[in-house]
Amino acid sequence: MSMTTSATIILAAMVAAYLAAKIFKISTELSMLAAALVGGFVGGAGLPARHIAEGAFTYLDICLIFITATLFMNLLKESGGVAFVVRRILKRFHKHKFLLFIMLAVLMLIPGMLTGAGSVTVLIVGGMVATVLGYMGIPKPKAAAIVFVIAGLSAAAPPVSLWAMLTAAGVNMPYVGFFLPLMIPCLVLALLTIFILGWKSKPVDLDQALKELPQPPARMNWAKILLPFLIFFALIIAGRIWPFDFPIMGLPLVFAFAAAITLLLSPVRIDFLEVSRRTVHQLLPLIGTLTCVGVLVQIMTLTGVRGLISVTVVTLPAMVVILTLFLTLPVSESVLMWGAAPVLGVPLVLLFNTMNLNPIIALAGMSIIWPLGDAIPPTAIIGRLTVETVGMKERYSIFLKYCIIPAVLIIIVGTLMVVFSKKLAFLAVF
Amino acid sequence: MIITILYYLLVAFVVFLMGWNLLKSKKWQEEVLYVIVLLPFLLRLLRLK
Repeated sequence: MSMTTSATIILAAMVAAYLAAKIFKISTELSMLAAALVGGFVGGAGLPARHIAEGAFTYLDICLIFITATLFMNLLKESGGVAFVVRRILKRFHKHKFLLFIMLAVLMLIPGMLTGAGSVTVLIVGGMVATVLGYMGIPKPKAAAIVFVIAGLSAAAPPVSLWAMLTAAGVNMPYVGFFLPLMIPCLVLALLTIFILGWKSKPVDLDQALKELPQPPARMNWAKILLPFLIFFALIIAGRIWPFDFPIMGLPLVFAFAAAITLLLSPVRIDFLEVSRRTVHQLLPLIGTLTCVGVLVQIMTLTGVRGLISVTVVTLPAMVVILTLFLTLPVSESVLMWGAAPVLGVPLVLLFNTMNLNPIIALAGMSIIWPLGDAIPPTAIIGRLTVETVGMKERYSIFLKYCIIPAVLIIIVGTLMVVFSKKLAFLAVF
Repeated sequence: MIITILYYLLVAFVVFLMGWNLLKSKKWQEEVLYVIVLLPFLLRLLRLK
C-alpha cells in the first residue's frame, strides 16, 4: 500500500470517528480527541501514550496566557472597573453618537486583544455594551451581531491572536511582525461594523441606560483601572527596550502581575479563589480545544495524515485556494474551532510562502477571517454565547442575517491582504 | 531562577483550580476534558516533562 493510500484511509477513519462522536452529541473537543485516538489505532500505533502527552503539551504556554489574561479581565470586572468605564463613556459621550461608537468599539476590542478569546469580550463587556446599544434603539439581534463581530475581531487582534500564534508555531515562524497587520484591519473593521449596523440608532436614553447598567463601587476611579494596564505594558516594553538587562518574564507572568495589581487596588473585596475557579471553568472549552488539537495534530503527524493534507493543499491551484478562503476558513473554524489553524493554516501559509507572498501579512489576513466561523453551526460557541449574553429571544438566523454585511467586508479585506501581502510587507515591522 | 519558580507556582495554582473544578463537576464530558487538560500541567508540575 502506498503512503498516500495509507494516509487517506487513516484520515477517513479519523473523519468517521469525529462524525460519529458528534452524532452521539459528544463535545467538539472530545470528538477531536476521539478522532486522534482512532487515527493512532488505525495507523498501527495503538494507544500512543507518549505522543498523546507530547501533543497535549503543544499549547501549554498559550493555555497559561489564556488563564492569566482572563483572570486579569475577570478581576477587573469583579472590582467594578468595567462597569465604571462603560458608565463614564456613556455619560461623557451620550450626545455624540460618533464618539460613543468609537469608544464602545475600542472598549470591546481590549479584552479579546489581551486574552485572544472572543468569548472573554462577550462575557466581560458584551452584555453592558448591548444594554447601551439597546437604549439607542438598536434591536437585540443587531446588537448581538455588533458584539459578536467585534468580539471575533478582538480575538484576532494583537498582541494575542490565537490563529496567528498557532499557525506561526506550526511553520516554525516567530510570532513577530504581526502587530500592525492585525491591529489596523481589526480596528478599522470593528469601527465599520458598529457604524454600519448602528447607523439608524437614535440618541441614547441616558437615565434609563444608567439605571440598568451595574453600579461601580464608590471608591473606583481611573487610576485603579489604568495602573494594572500601565504595569502590564511597562513590563512588556521594558523587556524589549532592555533585552539584556530585564528578565524575560513571558506573557503569562505579566498578566498574572497585572491581575495581582487589580486585586490589590480593588475597592471591593473580591473572592479571589472563586473568581479564579470560575475563570478556569469558563475557559475549559478553550483550553480543552487547544489540548485536544495538540493531540490531534501530533497523531496526524505521526500517521502521515498531516503530510497528506499539506501536500494536497500545496499542490492545489493557488487561485482556487485564495478564492475559496471565504468558505474554507470559517467552515474549518466551525468544525475544528481553533484547531483549524494548525490543521489548515499551516499548509496554507507554506503554500503562500512558496508563491512568494508575504507569510506574515497573508496569515494576518487569514486570521481575521477565521473568527467568522464561530457563528456557524455545528459549534457556533461564540455566536450562541453572544445571543445568550445579549438576551436575544428572536431566531438565531436573524442574528446571522445581520452579521452578513460585516462578514463580507471582513472576508474582502482578509482576502485582499493575502493577495497583496507582498505589497503590504512594510507593515510587518514589530 | 525566580521566574522559573514563579511559573511552577502558577502551574501549581492552575492544577489546584482544575482539580477543584473536576471534583465539583457533575457532567462526565466535562470531567473527561478536565482530566485531559490536567495532563500537561501535572506532568510539568511533577517535572516529568
